[in-house]
Amino acid sequence: MNLLEQWLSYPAAPDRVLSTIGIEIHWLILQYVLGLPLLIAVALLAYKKSGDSRWERMARTMTKALGLVFAVGAASGTASEFGLVVVWPNVLEAAGRYLFFPLYLEIFAFLTEIVFIYLLVFGWGKLSTNAKIAVAFLAMFGAWFSGAMITSVNSYMVAPTGIVPAYDPFSGWKYDQGYPKVLLVVPREIVGVLDVGKLQSLGMEVVGDTGQGVAVKMPSRIVARLAAEAWGGVRVRDSVLKLVVKPEAVGAVGDLLVKDVVDRILLLTVQTVGYTTVTFQSPVYPGTLLHSIGAGLTVTAFTVLGAYSLLLLRSRDEKSREYYLLGLKFGAIASLLTVFLQGAVFGHVMGEEIAKYNPEKLAAMEGTSSSILSISRLLGLEKLMAFIAYGSFDARLPGYDGIPVDYCTLLGAPRVTDCRPPLVVHYLYYAKVGLSVLLGLYALLLVLLLYRRANLPGYLLWLGALSPVLAQLVSFLGWAVREIGRKPWTVYGVMTVDVAHTANPADPLAYVIVALLFLGALAGLVYASWKVLYEPSVKG
Amino acid sequence: MGISIFFLALVFGIHIVAVNVGIALATLVPILKRRAESTGDSQLVEASRGLFRIYAATYALAGVMGTAFTVFLLSFYPEFVGVAGNITMVPFGIAIVAIVLHFFAIVAYWYGWDAFDSRTHFYTGVLLTVTAYLIPLGFRAVFAFLNTPIGLEFDGKPSLNVLQALANPTFLPLYLKSVVGALALGALFVSAVFAFKGLRSGELSGAEESLYLDGLKWGTVGLFAMAILGAWYAVSLTNTPIKFNNIFSSLGWAIQGVQRFSDYSWLFLLKMALVVLQAYLLLELMVLRPGEAATKRGYTYSILAAVLAALTVLTGEYLNAFSQYPYFVANLPLVASSVPEPWRTILGRSLDLRNTSPLALDPALYSVTILALVVLFAAAGYFLYVVFFKKE
Repeated sequence: MNLLEQWLSYPAAPDRVLSTIGIEIHWLILQYVLGLPLLIAVALLAYKKSGDSRWERMARTMTKALGLVFAVGAASGTASEFGLVVVWPNVLEAAGRYLFFPLYLEIFAFLTEIVFIYLLVFGWGKLSTNAKIAVAFLAMFGAWFSGAMITSVNSYMVAPTGIVPAYDPFSGWKYDQGYPKVLLVVPREIVGVLDVGKLQSLGMEVVGDTGQGVAVKMPSRIVARLAAEAWGGVRVRDSVLKLVVKPEAVGAVGDLLVKDVVDRILLLTVQTVGYTTVTFQSPVYPGTLLHSIGAGLTVTAFTVLGAYSLLLLRSRDEKSREYYLLGLKFGAIASLLTVFLQGAVFGHVMGEEIAKYNPEKLAAMEGTSSSILSISRLLGLEKLMAFIAYGSFDARLPGYDGIPVDYCTLLGAPRVTDCRPPLVVHYLYYAKVGLSVLLGLYALLLVLLLYRRANLPGYLLWLGALSPVLAQLVSFLGWAVREIGRKPWTVYGVMTVDVAHTANPADPLAYVIVALLFLGALAGLVYASWKVLYEPSVKG
Repeated sequence: MGISIFFLALVFGIHIVAVNVGIALATLVPILKRRAESTGDSQLVEASRGLFRIYAATYALAGVMGTAFTVFLLSFYPEFVGVAGNITMVPFGIAIVAIVLHFFAIVAYWYGWDAFDSRTHFYTGVLLTVTAYLIPLGFRAVFAFLNTPIGLEFDGKPSLNVLQALANPTFLPLYLKSVVGALALGALFVSAVFAFKGLRSGELSGAEESLYLDGLKWGTVGLFAMAILGAWYAVSLTNTPIKFNNIFSSLGWAIQGVQRFSDYSWLFLLKMALVVLQAYLLLELMVLRPGEAATKRGYTYSILAAVLAALTVLTGEYLNAFSQYPYFVANLPLVASSVPEPWRTILGRSLDLRNTSPLALDPALYSVTILALVVLFAAAGYFLYVVFFKKE
């Protein structure tokens, strides 16, 4: 199987590539906004306790870095936000209609971040140590609050609240029963015009009466079709709905836009679930939040480790060596702690959630297809992975080849030719896991050597200098697996990429220019960091 | 008018004033720095660095308020954002590209002040200046579209003919009026900064006093230019008859045969009153009593003039925005009949400001918003106090 061809075969390939570049660059930067405030606060606490000015110097340097990355991160965030508006307007509109609350709160999170991060940066010389510690924690609160809001929306895209997956680890795939299904509350007046018998024959299950409507589990292939029709300007008389509307009601509702019908259903569903909590109830939210903040902390810790490794290697300022060693030790311990937590605890929580609620993605991640060389099969890990994912040796990993290519479409709509997630994520996932393990082992070795006060060989410091790049790569791969593995869905079980993206895509050349611009801004940030943070330190 | 409109107006107002100051400072600071380096004027270097420090802080405020505006818009009017997103890739794209470059230029210029060589730093400043004008270019193209949707085409789906859109008769006057207004406000803002310093410390360095007087001079020129450009924009609004009538019909100027949906002549008169007051203060400082410009009284007048200029920009923006209420596109009632179905129904609904998203109508949401804004504005106020007023 040609893995790249499969990935590009889903709709809106240039849009997806551009979004990957833009959002990944934003993520690459903002991880430091998640991680640096905590490390600054810890360094300041250490300074307060010990009176050792090296801790204050370290906190000051990290604050300078925070100011730098936050400004560029805000720019890339603004660009990503507008990018979403113009490249994926329909999913953004849907989010604004039904899931707006966390995005709304994000405004205040962003305000909190900007006030306290810049207070720390610009007010450094005017604040007492205690005030700086407080401000650093408030900056951390703002950044984590922001992360908590955004990841709740992303979690909803990965597994919407009320999703019922199509897999049971003991009995296998359930596509023949109409799964995956989405729990919806259909307003009573809409139920009144529908032929429930026909809908049940298509796989719809009635769950119960909620007062204003009827809760149903609706096959996602119907939901996806309705989403496509809603954003395609289709009226009920031309819609698949016509098949399930009572014949006597077609005249009355035929002129309605499908969007209005979908809107009523989704509004009542969200009102029933709770508009302030709907995204936070996504079943993958806890793991997503932990794993995202954990990634920020891990990348930041390895970057501190890398920076002081490099300074130890390159600095001509002998007086500062003790300081650099302290920085290296701080970075190494933080790296070891975070990489362990991130892999063994946070990653595991998220892995279990994905296994349960995104079985198709897990099948792709584990490469359970006979058409590719599966690393887990090669290493004989399939049973172990099934046990880790489902907590039982009797459980089985979902088989990729058992996923129907058309499980997300109904009568050819939405326009997706292959509903299975791209198998390329198998290699991305195993590359990520492999690199994470290597990083963890490296951090462990470094901490042991530093505690034994052994002389650090040069190559170990060079590896340290390289480790931030590897940590970023791991983080990049993590998001790549998450986002690429969700395809062809934009919102799993609800909206596919072709429905989400703009009706008027730009010329590919324009996308190339914008992508180059993003990459240029990133290169500029690296250059600025080099000039502003690294060079002055090397000179001493 | 729902409270959502006022939330939008609040954050938009702060955003637009901060952005206007930013356009001017992004132009002025690189020029001053260059001049200071070529003349070896260390006082001017310090003065321009101080101004840039203010710019970095105000831009942060502008950025966050811009984001707040977008998210409020998305929450209250999601269908409008969906429609706009589908057709405005090019004008928004110009703004996005410029925003990324501009943010980057700010950071590079700030951190590179002593770290970059003079030439690299200057070119970073050029990037800063150019992008400061490109951002409003994209956004004003969208605003002109919101006056009258020239370039909107339907071929099974709505799309935008970009060349036609740029030929929108309200675009050029709106853009030029915006950037000249920003420069006028910015010049007076610079004067006010040094006037404030003069009031506090009692004396200004030679470079600062020179900047103070130059700011007043260029602010006066800008105000004069605005009188011409403002009139041009007002005339161009005859292409947007509903908006024109909403502003001017009570004053005796109306386009016949076109309905008036609201009356914002009072806002126009308020704006004119602010302009007249500004003109009076500047006349006092520049013509009637030029010798008193650098006195306590002169400093006070300068600060007042800058405040009035900021309020003029604010009322101008509010006038432009509110006068198309209740429609996102001012001319919608006049062009609706030419829009094919189902887009007529969809646009008719999504471009109506009274159609707030039902989930966002919860009074509890508004209460939380007001409380959170109060707390955060207090925090932002403390931030400004520490950065600008608290001593090391």
